[in-house]
Amino acid sequence: MRTVMVMIISGQSNEIALSVRNLIVDYGDLRAVNDISFDVYAGQVTVVIGPNGAGKTSTIEVCSGVRAATSGSVVVLGLDPKKDRAKLNQQIGVMLQDGGVYPSARVFEVVAHYCNLFGNKTDATKLLKSVDLLAQSKTTWRKLSGGEKQRLSLALALAAEPRVAFLDEPTSGVDIFGRDLIRGIVRQLAESGCAVILATHELDEAQRVADHVLMFQHGSLIANSPLRELQDSAGSSTRSLEEIFRSLANISKTTEPR
Amino acid sequence: MKIYYSQLRQELTVMARNGEQLLLIIGIPVLLLIFFSKIDVLPTDGQSNINFLMPGILGLAVMSTAMVSLGIATGFERSYGVLRRLGTTPLGAKRLVMAKIVAICCIEIVQLLLLTVVGWSLGWRPDGFNLLNSLMILILGTSCFAGIGLTLAGRLRAEVNLAAQNGLYLVLLLLGGILIPNSELPSGVAKIAKVLPSSLLSSLLRDAFGGIQIGISALVGLSAWAVAACVVAIISFKWSD
Repeated sequence: MRTVMVMIISGQSNEIALSVRNLIVDYGDLRAVNDISFDVYAGQVTVVIGPNGAGKTSTIEVCSGVRAATSGSVVVLGLDPKKDRAKLNQQIGVMLQDGGVYPSARVFEVVAHYCNLFGNKTDATKLLKSVDLLAQSKTTWRKLSGGEKQRLSLALALAAEPRVAFLDEPTSGVDIFGRDLIRGIVRQLAESGCAVILATHELDEAQRVADHVLMFQHGSLIANSPLRELQDSAGSSTRSLEEIFRSLANISKTTEPR
Repeated sequence: MKIYYSQLRQELTVMARNGEQLLLIIGIPVLLLIFFSKIDVLPTDGQSNINFLMPGILGLAVMSTAMVSLGIATGFERSYGVLRRLGTTPLGAKRLVMAKIVAICCIEIVQLLLLTVVGWSLGWRPDGFNLLNSLMILILGTSCFAGIGLTLAGRLRAEVNLAAQNGLYLVLLLLGGILIPNSELPSGVAKIAKVLPSSLLSSLLRDAFGGIQIGISALVGLSAWAVAACVVAIISFKWSD
């Protein structure tokens, strides 16, 4: 994995990898992301949490250059994700919510292809080993289980040896062993200096990997803080992200978040 | 170049693995050629069955690959998020499009060689052959049908696109002067049919292999279709649903 040399203390640094200012994303009349601003630091795992439809995926898609913002500015590694897409794509790894793999493609061939696309920074066999899919090398995407698809999708994002990794729901549909493995990879990525932006609505999972938390509700940011500070400010009785989220979002345990 | 070759290999591999597409682009033209050259049911404008059929079937092969095969595959790639994901890599749209075009050309070369061998064995003896003219017509036809295929693939949902491509293929086959000369159609239908791109392509190929000067109006018409279809595809294409 790549090593970032800028002011790294225990894997973390204060180098801003991604900066978002006054971001707005509209779909017709619907405002999905409502004037949000935040920074993401190299060497940290920033988790983006919130209920379904809160604006997490839209934010990740804009930051990774997949979608255009309605207004506001996004700078990733000093580059504009839309205008400087070609340059930026060489340095970022993206795991989209839907796999984005042709169903008849075989596991090894698709990973080898992505390694080629990123200039063979890493080796396909090594990557497959790291996500525990070497035994499925000849299996087609359509025959993989949900968890295997997620691990393959993560491997494709890792082929970039990214400086910034955008991971959208990486543990969705993944069993306990897969979760442990993915969590380990995410931590390893951050320790190597990569800025990891991980969107999830699974708050337990988020709490296990987060350095920094961005909490979304109805397209707005209701918290933007290091996990430790968020927990400290919530008091000693509320340490779990779920409780903190419920308290900040004003949701009682019997109320379903929208 | 390595990135481009990797994408080209991926395109060819996925195409080769798709049995339905292979049946459509290789099987149907060959079967139609053999069937209608042996069974004397088609009006052939006074020519031998095989000499009438062969140019139209070559045009049909181009239409199958450049429009239907490319269009359906691209529609599903869009719906599966393959294009969106590739958009986050250093591949870039230009290399992706180039890889798709070269993949189509590779398939077309195989198709045309196979059809020529089958046609020759069935007694096809063209009255004339001009390599440059034939290449120009095939390139125009490929551009035109690729533009139409990508226009549909770039806007419609994958399942709707699949139905639309197949439906259009059938219409362009029946009204395109490929199996039935346009002169045999009812006059109102014939007027529309003769400006369809499949009619223009089969008519130009008939001229090229008939040893006569290719029709300028058909050439202009097919060029206009090619430019219009490609421009509409570029303007309207959406990379994800």
